[in-house]
Amino acid sequence: MKKIIDLHIKEKVYKKKKTQLSILNNFRLEVNAGEKIAIVGESGVGKSSLLNIIGLLDKDYSGEYTLFGSLTDNLQASELAQWRNQKLGFVLQESALINSLTIEDNIKLPLHYAGSRKKEFKLEDFENVINAIEIKPILKKKPLDCSGGEKARAVFARGIIMKPQIILSDEPTASLDVDNRERIVNLLFKMNKEFNTTIITVTHDLEVAKLHDRVIHLERSK
Amino acid sequence: MGRSLFRFVDRLELCITYLFCFSLNLIFDYVKTLSLDSYILKAFLESFVDHQTLINLLFTFIVVVFHYQMLHRKKTEIYCRILVGDILFNITIRYTLECLTILGLVYLLLIVINVYLNFNLTSNLYLVCIFVIYILISASQVGKYEKF
Amino acid sequence: MKNFKFFITKIFLRKAILSIAMLLLFFMANYTIFTAARSILSTFQGYQEIKYMDQEGTYIANLDPDSNIDIDAIVENGTQIVYDYLNNNLKYAFYTDGFIVSLPNNDDMEISLNYMNEEYYKLNQFELSQGTDLDFDYQLDNNKEIPILIGKGLSKTYPVGSTIKIEDPVLEQSINLKVHGVLKKNAYHSNFYALNSKNYYNFSVFLPVNEDFIKHANIDLQLNGLMDVIILQTTKEKVEDLSEIMKENLGLKFNFFSQKENYEYFNEYYLHSLKIISIITLILLVIITGLSIWSALVSIRLMLKDFTINLLVGLSYSKLRKIFYSYYGILFFLNLIVVFFITAYSRYGCWLRKDATFVTYGVFGLIGMDWFALLVVFIFDIIIGMIIVENMLRKIKKVPISLGVLQ
Repeated sequence: MKKIIDLHIKEKVYKKKKTQLSILNNFRLEVNAGEKIAIVGESGVGKSSLLNIIGLLDKDYSGEYTLFGSLTDNLQASELAQWRNQKLGFVLQESALINSLTIEDNIKLPLHYAGSRKKEFKLEDFENVINAIEIKPILKKKPLDCSGGEKARAVFARGIIMKPQIILSDEPTASLDVDNRERIVNLLFKMNKEFNTTIITVTHDLEVAKLHDRVIHLERSK
Repeated sequence: MGRSLFRFVDRLELCITYLFCFSLNLIFDYVKTLSLDSYILKAFLESFVDHQTLINLLFTFIVVVFHYQMLHRKKTEIYCRILVGDILFNITIRYTLECLTILGLVYLLLIVINVYLNFNLTSNLYLVCIFVIYILISASQVGKYEKF
Repeated sequence: MKNFKFFITKIFLRKAILSIAMLLLFFMANYTIFTAARSILSTFQGYQEIKYMDQEGTYIANLDPDSNIDIDAIVENGTQIVYDYLNNNLKYAFYTDGFIVSLPNNDDMEISLNYMNEEYYKLNQFELSQGTDLDFDYQLDNNKEIPILIGKGLSKTYPVGSTIKIEDPVLEQSINLKVHGVLKKNAYHSNFYALNSKNYYNFSVFLPVNEDFIKHANIDLQLNGLMDVIILQTTKEKVEDLSEIMKENLGLKFNFFSQKENYEYFNEYYLHSLKIISIITLILLVIITGLSIWSALVSIRLMLKDFTINLLVGLSYSKLRKIFYSYYGILFFLNLIVVFFITAYSRYGCWLRKDATFVTYGVFGLIGMDWFALLVVFIFDIIIGMIIVENMLRKIKKVPISLGVLQ
């Protein structure tokens, strides 16, 4: 299997007003293509920080990160952005939607940054995603007019619209009822099965974590 | 919508705030040209015209409020755009350019009105400088909203 | 109180820019109302003053705006002929002021000498705080003392009964004055043709003048006295004759306006001006209130979560209303204090500049007119505050608490 993530964090330091907190000390993560990984741990151990680092949103740490065989340190901000757009998909909590845009505009947001790949994108692709996620009726609605489950599905749709190779999800089911939780998890795994997409999920839900190939327990640094 | 942080209503709001400030200055300039017979009216208007710059400056604060609330409201949007492939630098540049464009257009409109009324074209310039400073300060604050 | 303190420190002041914006907008509203209220009140005060003179058969002189005054061309003989005509044929009120004289006083002010005749004195009914009325029946003699009234500001240096020796600028000789009375503080005189502007008499000396005094005075007094001379109990024909005499002997055209003409002038000129001032103020207030509502709704947009979380955990809408009223009450109060200090400083500035005609005595530096204007500002503040707070509450009530919390 092809290794797509090779991450070695020596230290990540959080600076607050007077104190500083060191997390993810000497942390190593290797992920193969198509793997499903769950990251669990108590609050404050650095789960979301780890996801930000993997997702190329945070470069403020000491260590080395190789993604798809390239050392990310050498990449320019614009290249990192391009990778976020085309190779990574983020599935966050339902609140990560732009309230002033319709659900459709929210889902299509990554297309504005797709550059030449935008031409490859066909209307059927969008229709397929919409149908698969069952959100056609709410496309013209604004997020504030939608239920929690509908918003979570919209966030999911935005995360997969560019057919990413890795989906990074941060507590995607945190505020959902059992039905919607199951729906989101099934959609994630369907992506993994059909397109061999790598799934990395940060969760507190051990039931959800167990469904992944590998569960990484993060512990507080000493 | 595209890559811009601005919606139609945001552009309209910013246009109106700029227009208000420029118009206020224009009204002051117009009042100065009036040859009023009424001493009492003259004295009343003078109590404002004498403090024209200060009053204009006080009212420019509504532009500060616009920038402040705009960025606050766009917190999630900035983060979402970075998630899907934008970079902070480009967001900041686009925001700055869009504000400057709106300012430029409003100023252009005011120039036309000033020419039509035969008023001094430079009397508005200090407001433009102040607004540019406000735009630059607010642009420097965009980075604050990078993290969700 | 605890809730209020929490809201102020943890919610409102955390977005200080919005509070500052509100403060500035309220300041503009207060300044506008204050300026308008004072202008209107001052004009009405002037109108009340002129009403004393504005009686049937009274005509007030006014130099024709097209007349050119060439002082050198006017000879003293000419003015005396006019006065002789006045003395023999008409009853007239004479007043002229602004003759500056150096008279030592505690506040180091330049003193203005004001001259008036008995008719003017009767018309104005000057109120005294000490002493007795003026006596106009005196002989102009080197050794005799002329009775005078003085402004409040001079009463400590020159108490009633004291004598003052001055070099009189209109008689151009030394005269002895005896203080007969002290005017009430802030006694004033409005300009007949700019009723909102006033001269205060706190550092003035009033000299009674009679026919003999005018005869011996120089042309400055004689000519200035004619500028605003008031002819009493007369007819249009008689004043037209007087106007002819003045034209012949002084080369100046004077217009004389009757009570009716003055009343019409007031309606046309002053009421029209006051109407325009009121309309401008109203428009400015509507704009400022509109901007304040916009700014308040912006605050709601940004602080909705804070408000709704508090509502969720037990804060009632009525308590929230009280908090809003208290918060805006504080902002308005701060502005009232600022307006108070600006006004007090501007009044104090007259003392610093030794501007004797504008120097006033007041409570904490503010005179009655200022306090009245502040009261008007206060009433408008309550109205604006109510409009803003009720709009804010309506906006908050529109948003379901559950939705606001999640925003």
